[in-house]
Amino acid sequence: MMKVLVTVKEVATVEDEFEIEGTAIDERYLGADLNEWDDYAIEEAVQIAEAIGEDEVDVVTVTIGPEDCEQTIRQALAKGADRAIRVWDDTLEDADLLDVGAKTAILEAVVEDEDPDLVLSGVQSGDDSFMATGVSLADAVDFQWAAVVNSLDLDVEGDTASVRRELEGGVEELTDVSLPAVLTIQTGINEPRYASLRGIRMAQRKELTVQRLADLGLDSSVVEGDLRLTGMSVPESESDATVFAGGPEETASELAAILREKGVGQ
Amino acid sequence: MDFGLSDEQRQIREEVRRFAENEIEPVAQEYDVEETFPHDVHEKAAEMGLTGPYIPIEYGGAGYSILDTTLIVEELFAVDPGIALSISASSFGCEAIMEFGTEDQKERFLEPVALGEKISGAAISEPDTGSDVSSVSTTAEKDGDEWVVNGTKMWITNGTVGDFFVVLCKTNPDAEGRYNGFSQIIVESDRDGFSAEKITGKLGIRASDTAELVFDDVRVPEENLVGTRDAAFLQQMQFFDQTRTAVAAQGVGIAKGACEAALEYAQDREQFGKPISEFQAIQHKLADMHTRTEAARMLTYKSAWKVDQGEDITQLASMAKEYASRVAVDVADEAVQIHGGAGYVNDFPVERFYRDAKITQIYEGTTEIQKNIIARELLGKGL
Ligand SMILES: Cc1cc2nc3c(=O)[nH]c(=O)nc-3n(C[C@H](O)[C@H](O)[C@H](O)COP(=O)(O)OP(=O)(O)OC[C@H]3O[C@@H](n4cnc5c(N)ncnc54)[C@H](O)[C@@H]3O)c2cc1C
Repeated sequence: MMKVLVTVKEVATVEDEFEIEGTAIDERYLGADLNEWDDYAIEEAVQIAEAIGEDEVDVVTVTIGPEDCEQTIRQALAKGADRAIRVWDDTLEDADLLDVGAKTAILEAVVEDEDPDLVLSGVQSGDDSFMATGVSLADAVDFQWAAVVNSLDLDVEGDTASVRRELEGGVEELTDVSLPAVLTIQTGINEPRYASLRGIRMAQRKELTVQRLADLGLDSSVVEGDLRLTGMSVPESESDATVFAGGPEETASELAAILREKGVGQ
Repeated sequence: MDFGLSDEQRQIREEVRRFAENEIEPVAQEYDVEETFPHDVHEKAAEMGLTGPYIPIEYGGAGYSILDTTLIVEELFAVDPGIALSISASSFGCEAIMEFGTEDQKERFLEPVALGEKISGAAISEPDTGSDVSSVSTTAEKDGDEWVVNGTKMWITNGTVGDFFVVLCKTNPDAEGRYNGFSQIIVESDRDGFSAEKITGKLGIRASDTAELVFDDVRVPEENLVGTRDAAFLQQMQFFDQTRTAVAAQGVGIAKGACEAALEYAQDREQFGKPISEFQAIQHKLADMHTRTEAARMLTYKSAWKVDQGEDITQLASMAKEYASRVAVDVADEAVQIHGGAGYVNDFPVERFYRDAKITQIYEGTTEIQKNIIARELLGKGL
């Protein structure tokens, strides 16, 4: 039995116009949704299970978050994950900020419990955008890893994941990673499905276990980090729009010149 | 009393809305203008299980209740009624098979519809038979082990795209009483003698297919009879509570879509140096639209919930259908008004809502017929 662990986060979404109160955005402007990158990671895991055989692959999601985010977790279950773990307790509730170190420690404990063959995380979360949790977890549990994966081909027999990953400047790398591994999944790797009505129905009956830090053998020290949120502001935005006039023949080469100059195209 | 939705129901609503915004909204204008059936959207909807959500799980559906189905219909219609109907009515007629069909009929007809492989329809209306359903003149005569169907059906939803239709036929012309002697017979569209001609130029729900069906000595096996011979009228009446509640849900959805569009536009559009939502005249319109939509929604949910409890709710279902359809028409009208000139062209969805809303006052029994029913029930008069 192969096991795929997917890290799933419910992220804060914010309206186009909002107000900041101290170091937080006013509740009125906030919504919640499944982290976009995690949606792709879930889809990838479910596709792996469908390809290999749903009885032979166990897709488990893990979320650090309060009870409110169970609806988002059920969304992952409705899309085909088999069961879910949610880690939360008063210590986590009272923490101002869960930094990458804290998340790594918690997920590390879950990986030790679950012993997965493959861990899929999103490249980043849409709200905090640390872009670090997946890779940091790989380091902690001493798994092989690949970040920003936009294509994945799994060879279960050979215990290898052949991946294509995005580097900077439009360069991509093809590489093999041996299992167990952590892959951080980039959007566009697949086309995430909608949760089907049947899936939603079945998701209500799937197992969702809640674990406290103590259940994972951790204590409150994991939330103590060096990172503090000291301020929040809307970044100055400078608009830099260039309008090309004329037909596609002329404008295409003008556009290409600019892209080349900015280092976007090769 | 509990007015809350379950987590599961909230999840259904959110996922259906997500589907509608991503898959329906971008193509809504195009299908409306082209007046073509949205096969590709129907196919995607089927993958998600939106075709026949109330069909039991053992026949490929999701086994959802009428209240769950109401939530789905509302969300789909809030984005585009034409495409929404193409999806939600793709199982039209199947409710009769579900309730009265044989095991064999359920397997043959329900499953492919739930999976989106087939589309069904219900054929009751005729050129000379609208509100007075008892005047149906399409006949089915028994010849050996076959039924021979002759006649013309009018305004049939899914007429040229449907694979089979549950057709209301006169099977016993000598039956006593206006409501006796009718049967429901399944006619597949690939039978010899069946033809369908698309009706174009509709005011609204133009993505939905509507056609005139002609049955010219169409032979179907006797196993295609649904339920009891000559008892179709009673059978048909059992679904009015359900189908009228479904149209009420369509009305609530249209009103919701129009309300949302109007609220957004009123905050964006500026005149006299401020958003038009600052003007009390506009505020009162918005307040009234949202209040009436919520009232229609409550009436509709209650009606759906009662159907799920197995109660007989002729009067309540008619109230919901009549009121929600009227609210849809009025709210869409006000939404266009709030948009001013921009509401008069199809760049914004309110122009479609305005045209689409009207059908909810016509099909599944007109407004006048619903009021007749409500009054009849109030006054304790029989059929
Ligand atoms: C887009 C579309 C899709 C449709 N889909 C289907 C379908 O899938 N299957 C199907 O079988 N039918 C379908 N219909 C037909 C629809 O159900 C009928 O149009 C409707 O029942 C009204 O019948 P009618 O058009 O003959 O109007 P009529 O019955 O001729 O009514 C004309 C007017 O007279 C009024 N009136 C009639 N009788 C009374 C009375 N006793 N008291 C007071 N007022 C009265 C009506 O309310 C209406 O205002 C569809 C129609 C449309 C336009």
